[in-house]
Amino acid sequence: MKKKLLSVLLSAAMAVTVLAGCGSKAEVAPAEEAAVTEEAPAEEAVAEEATESEASAEGYELALVTDLGTIDDKSFNQGAWEGLEKYAKDNGVSYKYYQPQEGTTDSYVETIGLAVEGGAKLVVCPGFLFEEPIFIVQDQYPEVTFILLDGAPHNADYSEFKTGENVMSIMFAEDQPGYLAGYAAVKDGMTKLGFMGGMAVPAVIRYGYGFVQGADAAAAELGVDVEVMYNYTGAFEATPEAQSMAASWYQNGTEVIFGCGGAVGNSVMAAAEEASAKVIGVDVDQSPESDTVITSAMKLLSNSVYDGVKAFYDGSFPGGETTTFTAANNGVGLPMETSKFETFAQADYDALYAKLAAGEITINTATEDSTTADITLTNTTVSFVE
Amino acid sequence: MNVVYFIFQQTMFFAIPLLIVALGGMFSERSGVVNIALEGIMTMGAFTSILFLNLSGNGMQGQGQLLLAIVIAMVTGSLFSLFHAYAAINMKADQTISGTALNMFAPAFAIFVARIVQGVQQIQFANTFRIDAVPVLGSIPVIGDLFFKNTYITTYIGIAILITATVVLYKTKFGLRLRACGEHPHAADAAGINVYHMQYAGVVISGALAGLGGLVFVVPTSTNFNATVSGYGFLALAVLIFGQWKPVKIMWASLFFGLTKAIAASYSGIPFLSSLGIPSYLFKMIPYLATLIVLIFTSRHSMAPRASGVPYDKGER
Repeated sequence: MKKKLLSVLLSAAMAVTVLAGCGSKAEVAPAEEAAVTEEAPAEEAVAEEATESEASAEGYELALVTDLGTIDDKSFNQGAWEGLEKYAKDNGVSYKYYQPQEGTTDSYVETIGLAVEGGAKLVVCPGFLFEEPIFIVQDQYPEVTFILLDGAPHNADYSEFKTGENVMSIMFAEDQPGYLAGYAAVKDGMTKLGFMGGMAVPAVIRYGYGFVQGADAAAAELGVDVEVMYNYTGAFEATPEAQSMAASWYQNGTEVIFGCGGAVGNSVMAAAEEASAKVIGVDVDQSPESDTVITSAMKLLSNSVYDGVKAFYDGSFPGGETTTFTAANNGVGLPMETSKFETFAQADYDALYAKLAAGEITINTATEDSTTADITLTNTTVSFVE
Repeated sequence: MNVVYFIFQQTMFFAIPLLIVALGGMFSERSGVVNIALEGIMTMGAFTSILFLNLSGNGMQGQGQLLLAIVIAMVTGSLFSLFHAYAAINMKADQTISGTALNMFAPAFAIFVARIVQGVQQIQFANTFRIDAVPVLGSIPVIGDLFFKNTYITTYIGIAILITATVVLYKTKFGLRLRACGEHPHAADAAGINVYHMQYAGVVISGALAGLGGLVFVVPTSTNFNATVSGYGFLALAVLIFGQWKPVKIMWASLFFGLTKAIAASYSGIPFLSSLGIPSYLFKMIPYLATLIVLIFTSRHSMAPRASGVPYDKGER
C-alpha cells in the first residue's frame, strides 16, 4: 500500500514537472508568435520592413508591457497598444510588446527589464497594477522613459510616492465621459436610467457620478424628471446576479443601463438583448460586442499614449508629472460615429464637449462616499441599491 | 402578475443549472465517489461548448447549434471527469484532493487554451437561443406565461434530466446497483456487481451533467465566457446536500435556491419588494441561512450514501 502511494506520488510529481516544462515553453512561444503576427498585417508591409531592419540593428525602441489582459482585450491594453502602434507606424520606429508570465510585481519588473534589454527607450505600462513596478524600475533604469496609465508610482505600502523625471503618469477624468453619456441619454428622450458599476473604486465612482450629474443637467434643461437606479455589483465579473438585476430594472421600466465594470457590462448586455433594451458601454467603443450598445463612455487611451510617445520624441516629455486627460486635451469622449442616438446629434455633442473642454461645467467627483448621496441634483432621483 | 412571471423566469435561469449539476453530483455520490470537482467540470464543459459556439458562429445559429454545443459540453465533462474517476477509483486517492486538483486546473486550462486559440481569454458568443414564446403552448394563459415564454430549450432538457434521473435511480437495475455501491460496496461486490464499473459510471454521468450545467449556466447570463462559473459548482453541492441526495428533493432545493437568488438579485427592480425596506444583505443571506438550518435538523439522520468518499478497496475487511 505504501509503495503504491509512493509510486503514485512520484509519477504525479514527474507528470507535473513535465507539464510545467511544456507549459512555460508553450507560453513563451505563442506570445512571440502573436507579437510577430501583430506586427505584420499584410497592408503595412513598408512599416513592417522598417521595423525589421531597425530591430536587427538596435532592438525595439518602443515597448509595451501588458498587465493581466492581452493586447486585444478590448480594453486597456488594446487601447494603449493601438496608440503606440500608430505612432510607430507613422514614424517608422520599431516596436514590440511583452507579456509578463504572471500578474505580480516581480514578474512585471522582470518583463520591463526584458524590454529594456531588448533595446527599449520608452516603455508603456497600462494599468494601475504597474504603480509599484514603475516605482522600482524608474531608478533602476534612469536612461529609459516610462509611461504609466491610470496610476501614480508608489512603493509597496503606499508610504512613498515618487514620479521620476523619466516617468509620465497618465490619469483620466472618468467623470467627463460619464457626464457626456448621461447627458446624451436624457437628451435622447430617456428618463429612466440605470448605472451598474463593478467595484466602487475611484475610476468607477467617477464614471457613475459624472453619469448622474450629466443626466441631471439634461433633465434640468428639458424640464423633465429623471430616475436613476444605481448599484455597484462588487465584482468585475459577469454573473447571473448582475444579469438578473439588470433584467429586473429593464422589466421595471429602465430604458438604458450604463454597464461600467469590465464583464459586468456583458451581463447587462445579455439582459438588454432579452428585453430589447439599451446599454451604454465603458472605456472603449463596445458597440461591436452587442447591438444593444447605443454608445460608450470612452477614455481615449490610444490618443493619450500617442501624445505621450510623440512628446518623448519631440523632446517635450513631461517627466515627473501626472497628466490628466480630459475633454480639454481630447482624452475622453463618446464614439459618435457608432452611436445609435435618435435625436442627440453630433452638433449637440460638439457643443457640450466644447463646454466641458472650456471648464464651464463643474462635476462633483468626491469619491469618498460612493452612494451619490453627496451630489446635489435638481431633477433627478437616484435609487441607490446596496 | 407580470412581476410573478418575471421572477419565475429569472428563477429558472438560476435553478436549472443548479438542478442539472446537483443531479450529476448525486449520481457520483450515490455510487460512492464524492465529486467536489463539479465546479471545474462545469468550467471545462462551458469552455469547450462556448468555444464551439464562437467558432461556428458564422455559419450556424439557433437551436441546432445549441444542441450540438450541449453534446460537446457533455462529452467534455465526461472526459474531464475521467481524471477524477481514475484517481479516486483506480488509484484510491483522496477524493477531495483529486477533485480540488480538477477545480484548480480547469480555469487555468480554459484561459491558456483560449489565449492560444484566439489571443483573448474571453470567448464571445452570439445568443440566438432564447425562445420568446413556444408556439401554441406559449399562448396558454398563466401556464404559458410561466413555462413557455422567455425561456431556453435547456430548461426543458433540465426537466427531462430530472425525470430520467429519478427513473434510472429507482426503477432500473442499474440504479439499484449504483445505490448499492454507494451504501455498501463490499456487499454489492459479493452479490456479483463490479463496483469499479458502477463507480466509473457514476462519475462519468456526473461529469456529463456538470459539463452541460456549465453551458446552461453561461448562455442566458452573459455574452462571453471568462473561464469562470462563479462558484455555482459548489453551490450545486450545497443543493445536493440540501436535497438529501434524492432527485425530487434536489429539484425543490434548486428551485428554492433559484428563487431566493433571483429575488436577491432583482428585488431592486420590483416595486413591491424594494418598498419593503428590507436590507439587500438579508435577501442574499437567505439561501445560506436556510441551508444551515436544514442541515442542523437533518444531520442526525443524514441520507448521505454511507460509503460516499471512501475509496473502495476489495481486500479491506
